[in-house]
Amino acid sequence: MILAMIILPFACALAVLLPVSKRFRGILLCAVSCVYAAAAASCWMIPPAPQFNGYLALDPVGLIMLSAVGAVFVLVSVFMIGYFEHERRSNRTFTACLFTLLSLMTVVATSYHFGLLWVAVETTTLLSAPLISFHRNQESLDATWKYLLVCSVGISLALMGTFFMAIAAHETGSLLLPDIIAGASSLNAAWLKLGVIFLLVGYGCKMGLAPMHSWKPDVYGQSTGMAAVIMSGLLTQCAFLGIVRVAHVCNSAGLRTFYSSMLVVMGIVSLIVPAVFLLGVRNIKRAFAYSSVEHMGILVLGLALGGVGTIGAFFHVINNALSKTVMFLTAGSVAQKYGSSRVEELRGIVHAYPATGVFLIISALAGTGMFPFATFHSELMVLNAAISGKRFFLAAGFLACLAFIFIGMTRTVLQAVFGPPAEPVMPKRENSYMNAAIAAAAAVLLWFGVWMPAFLDRGIRAAASMIGG
Amino acid sequence: MIAWVDASCILIVLCALAVLATYRIAGMIEIFAAQSIVLGIVPFFLHFNELSARTFTIALGTIALKGLLVPYILFWAIRHVSMRSEVKPLIGFGSSIVCGALIVAGAFGISQSLRLPGRAVSELILPCSLAAVMLGFMIMVTRVRAVTQVLGYLIMENGIFLFALALFDAMPMLIEMGILLDIFAAVFIMAIVVNHINEEFERAPDAARTSRMGESS
Repeated sequence: MILAMIILPFACALAVLLPVSKRFRGILLCAVSCVYAAAAASCWMIPPAPQFNGYLALDPVGLIMLSAVGAVFVLVSVFMIGYFEHERRSNRTFTACLFTLLSLMTVVATSYHFGLLWVAVETTTLLSAPLISFHRNQESLDATWKYLLVCSVGISLALMGTFFMAIAAHETGSLLLPDIIAGASSLNAAWLKLGVIFLLVGYGCKMGLAPMHSWKPDVYGQSTGMAAVIMSGLLTQCAFLGIVRVAHVCNSAGLRTFYSSMLVVMGIVSLIVPAVFLLGVRNIKRAFAYSSVEHMGILVLGLALGGVGTIGAFFHVINNALSKTVMFLTAGSVAQKYGSSRVEELRGIVHAYPATGVFLIISALAGTGMFPFATFHSELMVLNAAISGKRFFLAAGFLACLAFIFIGMTRTVLQAVFGPPAEPVMPKRENSYMNAAIAAAAAVLLWFGVWMPAFLDRGIRAAASMIGG
Repeated sequence: MIAWVDASCILIVLCALAVLATYRIAGMIEIFAAQSIVLGIVPFFLHFNELSARTFTIALGTIALKGLLVPYILFWAIRHVSMRSEVKPLIGFGSSIVCGALIVAGAFGISQSLRLPGRAVSELILPCSLAAVMLGFMIMVTRVRAVTQVLGYLIMENGIFLFALALFDAMPMLIEMGILLDIFAAVFIMAIVVNHINEEFERAPDAARTSRMGESS
């Protein structure tokens, strides 16, 4: 099953490179994503067998990631059919990269070897570059360059950390996760600590945690909505998976306090930065990019606090993927309709495109973690972990940051939604494919918010108890 | 054979320092190619008594990809965007060398307190790889040209790879090859982006971007 989920998208990536019609590529992506999502769903019932001597294995953490990947790809591919009806550019490279990313993200979610994980994460970084530079204008190329440089350096640091970890695991002589966990007591503590620092900074850079977030506003601001969804909803979480694996090793080696203190600092800085900068942002995509920094902060904060926080973090993995889908797909649809994401040029969206206007409000609410969306619950769990751990200052800071983020976000979005209407560049007609994708994502987020299904609850708890802490 | 390993390590650091002091971009690429070839020979010295197919694959892979293909792509990139030399770096050439020397000293200082467990390999691998990583990082942040920044990244990767050679047995070969291929792909994609930026620049010249891409002053 795991192999099929890696090979099928990769084969399709090669297929779409052939000269076929634009529509065929879109429909193929949609069909493959549906098959992939069905395969991911079947993994909840029948756990697949490990492959290649345990290099690839699916555990509860990987399963959550895999399900998020499947769901987001289905939604994005439906949206894409609508988007490319109005786009002149060819979708050849774009679809090929998406297929390859799908295949690589399966590798990330199932890899049980730190070296393999690194190779897969690095390749996802490289393959997302063509997605960012899709429009081929100055700004998007500059953003691509910034992304490539910052993330390549970050990922190199993670490679260095992986090697340090290999030295720490000298006695075990293997970087396979089960071997390291089994031999956790024989790990060399000094080298492990050094490795953890490098891995956290390296994967943190790819996640876009503050202060390594500088690429995020530029990159998400310049790329198309679909590319921003894949990056903010999935690729960043692939890097988070790397951090989860590191946390798992640290928990079994008794280094919990060491990594959690680092993650708490990174997490709270990632909340303060968007709280400050969102107040001055006048561009919807850039505002959503800061929201992505915030959500990454919540993820690592939950992981650092442990207990109910870890459960919240894993729940947030799914919620973040879905809320980023709602947010960036709406932003992408708006950007296509108005040819801009700047608030000054958007005004009065709700008059020209009522559905899109409503979606924009929903995305602001879902993105800031308002009830009844599921993001509310996962953020509450992280807050709960902070309070039950008697870290009251942290909890207060967390709430204050969320409040400022809410003010900044709603201010930007409401200015774009209401007010005297601006003139769009596209005919005032909604696209049903695009709206269906956004509505479906919002509906699932609402569903998980008001009623969490039992299987999901079990899966998240299994993941949290697996990594311990 | 340890003496040869030591000599190679020192050569690698010297190459990184030489890039720091070079003005012509073509010269930098040549020095980088030399550094990669030295890096490719290190596995032979390290495993002289027990040469295996693995040693050959890693060594030849490094030399072919980093020593020949990557410099070829970089030469292709600079020919296309016709740039010859580094414009004013953020830190002058003289002071760069001084900073570089301080970095090397710092790397040796740090590695005093770290000990590689297990089989004794050359004492110089750890400090030299750290020095190369930091020098590469410095080139990356102080130079303004896109290709020079890529060179900085590559020198950093060479430093990391030197370190990886010291723990030959911890990583399976396929993964090491994967790492090499990734670096190759990174350079390939960066070269393409440089090319696109250049096309865009020729269409709409902009003063702020001239320093990064345009004809050398």
